[in-house]
Amino acid sequence: MTFVDCDANATTSLFLSRSSISTEGNKTGSWRFVRPVYQNKTAPCSAACPAGADIGRIEMLVAQGQFRAAWESLLMENPFPAVCGRVCFHPCEEACNRSNFDESIGIHRVERWLGDHAIREKFLFPLKTRNTNGKRIAIAGAGPAGLSAAYFLARLGYDCDVFESSGEPGGILRWGIPAYRLPASVLNQEISRILELGVTLHCDTPVDDAFLAEAGDRYQAIFVGCGHSRSMPLNIPGTELAGDGLNFLYRVRNHEIDSVRGRIGVIGGGNTAIDVARTLIRLGAEVLLIYRRRRQDMPAFSHEVEMAVAEGIELLELAAPIHIESSGERFGVTLQRMKPGEQQLSGRCQVVPDGQKTKTIHVDQVFMAIGAEAEDIWAPPASSQENVLRLSHCTVVQGRSPIIFGGDLTNPVQSVTDAIASGKEAAMAIDLIITESVEDIPGTLESCRVGKGPALSMDAFLMGERRNRSSRLVNYTDLNTDYFQNLEAASPPALSPAQARKSFDEIDGTFSARQAMDEAGRCFNCGICNGCDNCRLFCPELAVTLEDDRTINLDYCKGCGVCVQECPRSAMALEEERS
Amino acid sequence: MSLWNMPEPDYMYSGHTGCPGCGATIAMKFALRALGEDIMLVIPACCWAVVAGAHPQTALKVPVLHTAFETTGAAASGLRAALDMKGDTTTTVVAWAGDGGTFDIGFQALSGAAERNDDFIYVCYDNEAYMNTGVQRSSSTPFGTRTTTTPGIDWKKQRKKNIMEILAAHRIPYAASASIAYPEDMMRKFRKARSMKGGTRFLHVYASCPTGWRVPSELSVKVARLAVQSGIFPLYEIENGISYTLNEAGTRPVRDYLAVQGRFKHLTEADIVQIQQAVDEDRDLLIRRTRLMN
Amino acid sequence: MRQVLEGSHAVSEAVRLARVEVMSAYPITPQTHIVEALSEFCADGSMNARFLCVESEHSAMAAVIGASSAGARTFTATSSQGLALMHELLHWASGARLPIVMAEVNRALAPGWNIWMDQTDSLAQRDTGWIQLYCEDGQDVLDTTLQAFRLAELTNLPVMVVLDAFFLSHTYEPVDVPDQASVDRFLPAGPPRACLNASEPFAIGQMAPPGVYMEMRHDIQQGMSAVPGCFDRVENDFETIFGRKYGPLETVECHDADIILVMAGTAVSTCRQVVSDLRHQGEKAGLVKLKMFRPFPIEQIRQAFGRAKKIAVVDRNVSFGIGGIFAQEIRAALCNTAEKPPVYSYITGLGGRDVTPEMLAEIYWTTKNSPSPSDESIWVGLNKELGRS
Repeated sequence: MTFVDCDANATTSLFLSRSSISTEGNKTGSWRFVRPVYQNKTAPCSAACPAGADIGRIEMLVAQGQFRAAWESLLMENPFPAVCGRVCFHPCEEACNRSNFDESIGIHRVERWLGDHAIREKFLFPLKTRNTNGKRIAIAGAGPAGLSAAYFLARLGYDCDVFESSGEPGGILRWGIPAYRLPASVLNQEISRILELGVTLHCDTPVDDAFLAEAGDRYQAIFVGCGHSRSMPLNIPGTELAGDGLNFLYRVRNHEIDSVRGRIGVIGGGNTAIDVARTLIRLGAEVLLIYRRRRQDMPAFSHEVEMAVAEGIELLELAAPIHIESSGERFGVTLQRMKPGEQQLSGRCQVVPDGQKTKTIHVDQVFMAIGAEAEDIWAPPASSQENVLRLSHCTVVQGRSPIIFGGDLTNPVQSVTDAIASGKEAAMAIDLIITESVEDIPGTLESCRVGKGPALSMDAFLMGERRNRSSRLVNYTDLNTDYFQNLEAASPPALSPAQARKSFDEIDGTFSARQAMDEAGRCFNCGICNGCDNCRLFCPELAVTLEDDRTINLDYCKGCGVCVQECPRSAMALEEERS
Repeated sequence: MSLWNMPEPDYMYSGHTGCPGCGATIAMKFALRALGEDIMLVIPACCWAVVAGAHPQTALKVPVLHTAFETTGAAASGLRAALDMKGDTTTTVVAWAGDGGTFDIGFQALSGAAERNDDFIYVCYDNEAYMNTGVQRSSSTPFGTRTTTTPGIDWKKQRKKNIMEILAAHRIPYAASASIAYPEDMMRKFRKARSMKGGTRFLHVYASCPTGWRVPSELSVKVARLAVQSGIFPLYEIENGISYTLNEAGTRPVRDYLAVQGRFKHLTEADIVQIQQAVDEDRDLLIRRTRLMN
Repeated sequence: MRQVLEGSHAVSEAVRLARVEVMSAYPITPQTHIVEALSEFCADGSMNARFLCVESEHSAMAAVIGASSAGARTFTATSSQGLALMHELLHWASGARLPIVMAEVNRALAPGWNIWMDQTDSLAQRDTGWIQLYCEDGQDVLDTTLQAFRLAELTNLPVMVVLDAFFLSHTYEPVDVPDQASVDRFLPAGPPRACLNASEPFAIGQMAPPGVYMEMRHDIQQGMSAVPGCFDRVENDFETIFGRKYGPLETVECHDADIILVMAGTAVSTCRQVVSDLRHQGEKAGLVKLKMFRPFPIEQIRQAFGRAKKIAVVDRNVSFGIGGIFAQEIRAALCNTAEKPPVYSYITGLGGRDVTPEMLAEIYWTTKNSPSPSDESIWVGLNKELGRS
C-alpha cells in the first residue's frame, strides 16, 4: 500500500454519493403503452336540446360568474334564451346525468335567469357577424322559426326581409302562449335583438302564392315558416257554434277581450286547449275542459295540466263531444262516454265508446282547441320529388330561388325550440346552397351535429371549437361522482294557483344571481373540461402542465391513467400509444 | 376553476422511477407542497430509496439523507441535534419511511425517538407490504391479504398493526392519518405537523400500490378513496396521545373496496363478512375514543 | 494539568476538550463511565452539546451518522455486544466518509456473558473501513482521542479509539490533561468538507449502481492510504503543542533483537518490564507496541522487524478457523518481503484472563526454543482441567 503524504492544506479525494442532477434526464414517457388525451365530449343535455345549446359549458360559465361568456354561448345556438327558459319543454333535463345522482339541473331556470339578466344589464350583442354579402332572403312568418332563420342568416351576412301577416311579430310566442307564461315585454326584447342585426320586418303583410312566384327575382332564397295558423275543426253537428280557441287567444292578446263570464266549455287536450282554459279562468270564467281520452294521454305538458287543475279548471276525461246545439242563450254539448281500448304501440291509448252512455252539459260558450294545421298553400311538397331535399327540420325545394319550408310545417316535434332548430338548419342550408352547392348540405350538416343529432351547432358550422368536439355522449357511468355532494335543486318562488289565476302576471319567479350560480354549479359539466385541475394535481409524474391550457408532457407521462379516472366529467380519454 | 386550494410549487422532479400510478409518489408530491423547501428528508431502505434516483441523479429538490433500514427514527434525531447545534432551528427534519421501516424493522428506533419526543416529523407512507423487495408481508399488511410470503391458503390471518394507537401511547404531541385521495386534508395535517415544532409528529399516509395490490394503475387514487369511504382507513388525528378528532370514517361496504383489488380476490363471502365486522367494530371503538375526551 | 484519572474519564475529558457537538450512546459495561461523565458535562454546562440517550447501539451509531451528515462533530462509545450490533452501520459510517470518533472498550463477546478484556470485538470489525488505534495507558487514551478528531476530519474516515476493559477503562493513573486553549489550537472547529445543508438540495447516499460503486470504494481505499501520512502530520502538531508522540507503532529494543514480541493494549506495559528483564539476562529480546491497526502499518512493521530472527505475536483475541488476528495480519505484511522472519502466534488473556509477566516470559522462551512456528496459534494459560467436560 502506498502512503500518501497528507498535507494539511491538500486533502484526500472524497468521492461521495452526493447527487444533485435532476431525474429529468429520464424520459419515462417511453414506458407508456396508453396515453391520456384531453377530449371534450358531448353532454347528453346538449344532444337532447333541439337547438343543440352547449349546455354543459353554459352551466360551467354561469357557475363561475362568467355571465357574458355564458350568454354568448347560448346566443351562438339560440336567439331566444329568455323565451325558451320559460316555454321550452326542456328535454335537456330529462337527459341530465345528474338525475341519477340526486336531481336534474334546473337548466331552463338557469337559462331564463341568464336571458333576463342579459336584458336587464343591457348586454351588448357579443357575437361576430359576417360582413353583409348583399344577398337577400325572404322569410314568411315572424314566428320562432322565421325569426330564428332571420337571426342566423343575418349573422351569416344575409339581408333578411321578414313578412308577418298579423300586426306584431312573434307568431305563437305572442298569440299562442299566454302572458302568464311568457310576458310580452320579454318577447319584445328578444325580438328587438334580432331586428337590430339588420333584419327588416314587414307586419300586416301576409304572403301568398303570387308573392312566392315573383320573390325569386328579388331574393336568393325563401324561408316559409307560417306555422299552423288554422284550427282543426271538429266534425260534429253544431261545430260552427263553437269558437276557435286559437283565435280566442289572439283576440285576448290583442286586447279585444278583457272579460268572460259564465261556464265555458273547452274541447281539446293539447297546450292550446290548456292555454285557452287558463286564459278563460283569468278573465273570470268557470271552465270545463273536455277531453276524449284520459288525463295522462293529454298531449299538453303535464305541468301545464297540473297548473290548470290547480287553478280551478274542471277536467272531464273520456268524454267525446258528439254534437253541439244552442239552447237559448246557452249551448248544450252532448258527450259520448269513452273507455280505454287497446294500448297502441306508440303508448297512446286507444279509446272506444263506452256503450250508449251519453250526457249533455250546458255551457255559456264552447271553444274548440283540438289542434292546428297549416293553410293549404303552405304544405311542403313530398320528399319523393326529385328537387326536394328533406332534412330533419326543413324541406328544401330547389329551384332558381330555393324555397325552404320549416317550423311546425316540417318539424318532427312541434315546439318552440324545434322551431328555432328549424330556422338554424334552414339558414345553414341556404348558406350552403348559395356559397357551395345543395349536394354539400347533408355532409356539412352531419359534421355539425351535436352528438348523434338531429340538433345542429352553429358554432361547429362556423368552424368553432365544437366542430372538433367528440360526438361521443357522456353516460352517467362515465363520470367519477366521488367529487360531487348531494345538493338539492334550487327552486325559485312561484305564484300559488290561487294567486296565479287572478291575473296574467308571470307565475314563475326566478333565481337570484347567487342561486343561479349555485344551481349551475350542480352541473357535472359532462364531457367538458372546467379546469378542476384533478388531472394535474394527482399526476404522479408531474406531467400535466398548465399555461393557457392543460397539456400532457409526453416525455414523462407513463400512461398510468389516474388523470382520466379522476376526471369527474369524462373530459379525457385513454388512447392506445401509437408506435 | 380549480377545485383545490393548494400551494403551488412542486419540490419533486419528473423522470423518477416510481411505478405508473404509484401512490407513494403522489404522497410525496403533496407532502412537499405542504412542507415547502426548508426541510431535510431522511429516507431509509424503501421504495423511495430507489425512486429518489440513482447517483448522480435525484428526484427531489430538497436535501436527502439516505439511511439504513432500521435507523430512520435515530438518524432523524441525530440530524435534528446537529442542525440545532449548527444554529439552524428553522429547517424541519422529515423522516419518510415505508411501512416495513416503521412498523417492523424501524419500529424500535421510532419508538425510541417518540419516547424522547425528538423534534421531527415522521411520515410513514403505507403501502401495506414490503413492496420494494417484491410484495412480502409486513405487520402493516391487513387481514385477508395475499402477498408473496402469505400466499395461497396462508393469506395473512393477523390483523394490521395499529401504528396510530402505538404512537399515541407514546403521548407524542401529534399523530394523524392521511390519504392521497384527500389532498386538502393531507396538506392541512402536514402543515399542522410542521407548525408543531419541538416534539415528535407522526403522519400515517395511505399510499396505494397498484403493482403490489394488483389494482389497475388508474384506480390508484380511487382505491385510496374507497379505503376511507369504507372505514378501513379512517382519517383522524390524535393530540398528546389522548385527544382524538375523527375527520372521516365512512360506512360504505368494505366489499366495494376489496372487490377492485387482486390481492383480495381469493376472499370468500364469509371472509368479507368477517372483515366488515372487524371494520365496524374498529370504527365504533374509534368513535368512542373520540367522544371520551371531548 | 496532571490529574489522577480513570481510563474512561481520560476519554471523556478528551471529548469535552474536543468540543464535540452531538453524542449518542447506549449503556454497556464497561463503557458506562465514559457516557455518564459526558451526560454530566452536558447537564452542568461544561459541554455545549446534545446527548441523545438512544434505545440501542445500532440507533446510537445511526444518530451520530445523522448528526455527522449535517456537519456536527460527533462521538459515541460502546463495547462488545454493542459494537457487534452496530456492525452494519460501521460500514455505513465509513462508506459515507463521516468523521465520527468512537471509543471502543475491548470486551469479550457472549455467550457466556463476560464483561472483561478481550480484543476480538474490535478486531472482528477490521473490514468496516474504520481507522483503529489501540491504547496502552491513560495518557495514550486521552491523547489518542484528541488526535482522533483531527485525523478523522482530515481523512473523512471514522476513527475507533480502543482501550482494554477494566485494565484500562477502570484503573486510575496520573494523566496530563491539557488546557482548552491548547486543544483549540490543535483542533480548530473548521467547517466540515461536506455535509447536508439546507441551501443546497442534494441527496447523500443515493443508489450507486455498478457503474459508480467500485469507484466509491476505491476512493475509500485511497483515503485509508493517506492515513499514515496524515497521522504523522497530526502527531507532529500534537508533539509541538503537547510534547508527546506515539507513532503507528513503537519499537522497544528492536534494533538488534533476535526475538521480537508484538502486542497491543495494556499488555504492552507489562511486556516492557519483561523485555527489560530479559535484556538484563542477556537475551536479545525486543518489543513492538502495535498502536495503529487500521490501516495496517505494513512499512513500519517491515522496518521494525528488520533483522529479527523470530517474531512472537501475542493476541488477546481469536478468529476461529485461523487463529490470532494480529498474527495473521503480520504474516500477510511479511509474506512478500525478502527477509521473512517466522511468526509465532500465541493466544492468551481472553475474557479478562490476566496476562502476567511470567506468561510473557514463557512465550519468549517457547519461541526461542521452537525451531519453527506451528500453523495453529498456541493457547497460553489454558486450564486443562476445565477443557475436559
